[in-house]
Amino acid sequence: MSHHLFILSPSDTPIYNLTYSSTKPTPTIISPLSSNLPTWSTSAFAGTLTALSGASSTTQHTTGGGVRIGGGQDRHVIQMIANASLDAVEDVMRKEGTMYLKSVDRFNEWTVSAFITPGNTKFVLLHEAKNDEGIKSFFLDVWELYVKTILNPFHSNQQMIRSSTFDSRVRASAKKYL
Amino acid sequence: MDTHVFASLAQIRILLVPIGSISQQTFEKYASEIRSFDAIRLGDIAVEGTKDERARFQPKSLSTGYLHLSFPSHPPPHSHQALSLIRPSQLPLAVIGVTTCSHSEALPEIISQFNGTVLDMFPPPAMYPLARNCFVFEEDSSSGISPGGQHPELIIFPEMMGNRKLHIGTLLGEICSKIFGEFGVLIQRLESPLGNEYLNASLFPSLPLLTDMPPSMDSKDTLPPLPSHSSQPELSKSALSKVAPAMKRNSSLGVPTVRKRLSAIGAASSHGRLFKVMADCFLLAGRTEDALIWYTEALQLLKSPLDTIWNASALEGMATIPILDSWSAGHGLQTSTSVGREPWSDIADKLAQATILYFKVPPSDIDNYQFLSYLYCCCVLRHTSLLFAIWSAKGWGPLAFTTMLQPGPTPYLPPTLSHNESTTWSNLERLSSMSGIPRTTISSLLSQVHGPWLLHLGSRERVSVLEAIASTYSCLGYRRKESYILREVLGCILDLIVCGREEDAHTNMRSFGIKGTVGIRLNESSDGNESILKLIKHVCKVLGVHLDAIQIVDDSSDPMSHSEADDESDIYREPFGWPELQIGVVRESVAVAEALPDFLAVAQYALSSLKTLQEFLEPGDQYHLYSTAARAMQTARRRGATKAVEYWSGRPVVSIALAPLPFVRLPIEKPISALKPRTSDSNAILKGGTDPFLYNPRRMNATQGKSLVVQGELLEFIVIVQNPYVFDMELHSLSLSTSGTPFESNPISLVVPARSYHRVILSGKALTTGSLIIRGCLVQAPGGIPREFVLPLASEEEEERLAHKRSAALCEAGRFKYFGLDSFSWRKNQSPDSSSGSSSRSSKTPSFLECKVVPEQPLLRIRRTTVTHGALMLYDGEMSSIRITFENISLLPIDFVRLAFDDSTISPAQQALAESEMSVFETYETEYALIHRPVFSWIKNDSVTIAPGRKVTLSINCFGKVGCTEGTIHASYSYIHRNPSDSEENSVFHTRQLSYPLMVTVYRMLESHGLDILPYPSYPLGNDDNVMKNSLDLFVEDNGAWCLFSIDIMNTYGTPFEVSLERVQEDVPWGETIVNVPPGSTSRLVIPLKKFLLSDEHISRPIPTLSDRQFVVDKTKLSEAEQQMQRELFWYREELFKCLRCQWREAGGTRYGDLSLRQQRLTLTMLEILRTEKAGIQLTLVRPGNPAEPIQHRAGKYHPPCSELVYVRIKVTNLTKSTLVFTLDVNIDPREHVIHDGVLCDIPVGRLEVKESREVEVAICFLCHGRFEILASARVLESGTSSGTGSARLIAMVDTNT
Repeated sequence: MSHHLFILSPSDTPIYNLTYSSTKPTPTIISPLSSNLPTWSTSAFAGTLTALSGASSTTQHTTGGGVRIGGGQDRHVIQMIANASLDAVEDVMRKEGTMYLKSVDRFNEWTVSAFITPGNTKFVLLHEAKNDEGIKSFFLDVWELYVKTILNPFHSNQQMIRSSTFDSRVRASAKKYL
Repeated sequence: MDTHVFASLAQIRILLVPIGSISQQTFEKYASEIRSFDAIRLGDIAVEGTKDERARFQPKSLSTGYLHLSFPSHPPPHSHQALSLIRPSQLPLAVIGVTTCSHSEALPEIISQFNGTVLDMFPPPAMYPLARNCFVFEEDSSSGISPGGQHPELIIFPEMMGNRKLHIGTLLGEICSKIFGEFGVLIQRLESPLGNEYLNASLFPSLPLLTDMPPSMDSKDTLPPLPSHSSQPELSKSALSKVAPAMKRNSSLGVPTVRKRLSAIGAASSHGRLFKVMADCFLLAGRTEDALIWYTEALQLLKSPLDTIWNASALEGMATIPILDSWSAGHGLQTSTSVGREPWSDIADKLAQATILYFKVPPSDIDNYQFLSYLYCCCVLRHTSLLFAIWSAKGWGPLAFTTMLQPGPTPYLPPTLSHNESTTWSNLERLSSMSGIPRTTISSLLSQVHGPWLLHLGSRERVSVLEAIASTYSCLGYRRKESYILREVLGCILDLIVCGREEDAHTNMRSFGIKGTVGIRLNESSDGNESILKLIKHVCKVLGVHLDAIQIVDDSSDPMSHSEADDESDIYREPFGWPELQIGVVRESVAVAEALPDFLAVAQYALSSLKTLQEFLEPGDQYHLYSTAARAMQTARRRGATKAVEYWSGRPVVSIALAPLPFVRLPIEKPISALKPRTSDSNAILKGGTDPFLYNPRRMNATQGKSLVVQGELLEFIVIVQNPYVFDMELHSLSLSTSGTPFESNPISLVVPARSYHRVILSGKALTTGSLIIRGCLVQAPGGIPREFVLPLASEEEEERLAHKRSAALCEAGRFKYFGLDSFSWRKNQSPDSSSGSSSRSSKTPSFLECKVVPEQPLLRIRRTTVTHGALMLYDGEMSSIRITFENISLLPIDFVRLAFDDSTISPAQQALAESEMSVFETYETEYALIHRPVFSWIKNDSVTIAPGRKVTLSINCFGKVGCTEGTIHASYSYIHRNPSDSEENSVFHTRQLSYPLMVTVYRMLESHGLDILPYPSYPLGNDDNVMKNSLDLFVEDNGAWCLFSIDIMNTYGTPFEVSLERVQEDVPWGETIVNVPPGSTSRLVIPLKKFLLSDEHISRPIPTLSDRQFVVDKTKLSEAEQQMQRELFWYREELFKCLRCQWREAGGTRYGDLSLRQQRLTLTMLEILRTEKAGIQLTLVRPGNPAEPIQHRAGKYHPPCSELVYVRIKVTNLTKSTLVFTLDVNIDPREHVIHDGVLCDIPVGRLEVKESREVEVAICFLCHGRFEILASARVLESGTSSGTGSARLIAMVDTNT
């Protein structure tokens, strides 16, 4: 079961991202509809469509050469989903004052949870299973780490966070909660 | 295309197809007339009188429902035939051909065309259409067209018909009636056991063919089918008691019995599907009550052995009914009645249930997945569109129903969303709060439709589903989600395009196979490309990529028109968006444009993204984009595109500078007044050209002013171009953009290396005189449009403006006033404002690099010189001359030549002078050396003219000065008197300079030292005249008035020199001493000098400065007396040097020169000797008597008698130029052997006028023999003090023999 964390600056630019695979099994219910997918075309555009529709994660065993598959989950698609989920996140965050927006959006097999810092930096987490409390604790941890990072006067809040300490601590937290 | 309307299940589809050669416009006109009937009252349907099975679905008389029609213009894909029973509304139930006709003869052709078209659209096994008609609209016919009668499906509309619309309505009613009749037949066929078996045979059953039906089925009279029997009473029963729930339950209770009976007959299958089909037909027929009943029945039956798909489909149908009822009942009257639950929650629940059922479909045949997915998607979309319609209509109401029933074929946007500000957050939120449906609810519902199953769908359905999703997201204001979906839409469409083309290519290659594998595109159509590109741009814009950053413009557009300030390129830009996604989408859009193919768009996208995303693009991507763009532009050019992309790579030109002209060509502007003779020009050399003013505003202007260039001569401009990309950027042409005087230059093409600044030299000629303004550069990329880049001069103002901008941007950075997509759009909106603000500030035209073009100038060169190897070897103080020959190599004459000189001794001296650390004395020496002893000099000659092509030789005097290592001869020349007419108005003229550097070596060979001035010896060496004649120069009369000047000359060089010392005193005969100084030896030169006396006022003058320096403060703090002494020394020394001329001459050679004595010091004792005393004293010894008899003297010695009275006569003469009072002191030695009269000290002489003498006598007596020395010295009495001056000595030899 994998998790994808993106920290986005207010102008939607990712300043940190993390892909974390936890050992827990994926409990997704797969509809029979998404099985037996046809390989209906080999053109590059069909590959785009296959990836975007989320088919590549499930059909990796059936589809062959023409389709671009990145470890079952196309990174670009994950990013597209995270980006698209910002619509819902923005909508909800304007109406609700809470920082933690749990399961704010769903797309394909992904559930999106988000965390909004007071500085309007968004933590977007794509996950597959329901784990509200864990995710909340994870977000709070990441927030604390994030605040500690941007306390650095030489760090502007549009810069990529490249601190290895930050990275390792976020990973530790992910291991703990996710 | 298909629209996913909520109520599509209740809409009878009537396909409108154009037949024959009808123009699209005409077709649309008639089609819209037909389409205006989207709902028909049941009461308006003509009920056929038949009472057979055809009447089952006919509307009851006086019934109040409505029929809903929709008129698609595209036939469904053939595969949809499989849905014909489970979803009859999916397929067109009727086909109306629309055509025009002008004469009757064409009718058979029309009918055959119509039949052919219908057959083509619906190949034989198809159940539908149930009705087909061809509407023939009469046009331009002289005589009315008669239908002829043999073709009932032809319906002629005469041109004259007034109430055509009404007629169409009636006809539509008839068609519907026919359809309902056919429904009856259909159901009857299904009601048969075989039909039911067929119905239950598969998931998507088909109708049994007529031939398969048992013959008994054909005759309905003999054996009425059981279902018909069983359903008919039930129908009537429930129709009668439609309001009573109890009765409903009764009817549902009755179903098992029916089923039992059916199974008893032998039909293994339940009748659930049959009832469902019937309900569908009732729904289509507008009989919602009947439909509801049959749906309920069907659901009961379908549930127990779960038939998921049919069950779900029935739920969908049921969910449609309330909306139809509400629409027909309320139609604007009913308002939301909130009793705890929302009025639509029931419908929504049904649909949700259906969704789940569809989702959990049991695995089945692979072929079915297409339909399963489609049904699932339709169901989710139906659910979404329900909520969406309510949301967009601000709640449950007529508007919502209208939206849900909108027939299409184009998607309907309710007025709440179709105005301009519909996408603003406030508007969307208002809708949410009024309707009570949050947008996230709709969006999360909608996201269910998206999944891998989309791949199961046929391409057409997929596009349609995705379109529906995208448009819903768009209406919700979820633009990122919309763009996500739009990317899929693009993928779908392009896949179709590409695959279709491949098939084309294969067929073509087959047909042209013999000629090789050349794919020939038979049909190239660019229709729709525009829309695809629009989609791409939309997607990119949402992701923050501005694909229109580079515009496509006409080839002929003016390059100057883009001169808007593009100087933000160096200003910090805040990143927006997700770089990885941006790059991905850019790659995709380029691929899309390539696939279309639209070459200009390819170039535009590739270059726009290179420009805007440069910092994020990987090197590989940059290469790819660049090469793609280049290729695309070439292709576009080859295909004769009249448009091209504008210049793209940011701001390529960094700076422009005029390459400094070579020195010989550089014109120098001089005021014409410089030609007038100047009064004092000697001092320039001392100042070294330094400005007396610390701050000289004029000089500032002069340095910043325009550089001078010459008309008609080649100018070079150094242009720095930059290439921030990782590839070598090719520039097709680069040229200067100038204004002012015409400038002739050739554009050059170049390749700028990757990631570098590159220096380019652009050259050209100014054709006329005047001002040449270099505005910037014209740059053209290959295949692009030239574009001008204006480069204002980096003036202070400009710098300030840029710095201001930059700091403003930096100040804004990191402050988020807007977030998400707003931060991007805000930036785009604001930029015109900010640029207009800055343009108003910069409206005072920016200054540009400017050159002043001066008239043509002559050109001179040095043809030859007498200096070998450019090196000059001189002895110290040597005077020689060199000659330089100039040649005029231009076509203009030269009428003005001036020479100026520079050497290496000048600047250190100037510096020393400027530092003013030297004493006054040294300062004078330095200045003297600079002014009077220059290394180079020439005799100014104003009349030198050099005609074109002629030569002239000028002679330059050289003087060897120790320490000089190099020198330069500057010649400035000009052609001043060009034209007598305009010479007056010219206040300036221009000169050019020519420099001739020289290596100078000065050997120091003679060293003078030991200057001494000695009193002239009073002892003559002898009386013999020989000696006196031999060394005439050394012997002088009146030796008291003379002194001896001596100096040692040492020859440190290797050759002998002859040194001469000349005396050039006034009033004194000329004298000379010549000594040959051999190498390594020292010789002394001695020459007598007449003593002289300088007047008091002469020596009290301060030491002059030769320069006009002001404010020279004497640094040394000397007392008055010391200062006086210094001045005295100075002036006497000057006078001394004036009297002497020391020269040397190479022994046996021709070289000669001066030997400077100026290094020598004059000491005070020397001064005393040199200076004439104030009093001249003459001593004589006389015997007493009258007249006094002088005592004989020989060889300067007196021989007075012993013990006899003699007089010492002292004659004191005032030699000064003023009246003085003198006293005398007489000293006799040895004193004890002399007696004297009176005192010997302070003998008053008295006041003596100028040149007046007075004699004083002192009587003495020598008491013994021997040598006596009498010394008389005069003293001047001045204001109480006395100072000694002048003395004389007398030697007396007293012996016996006199």
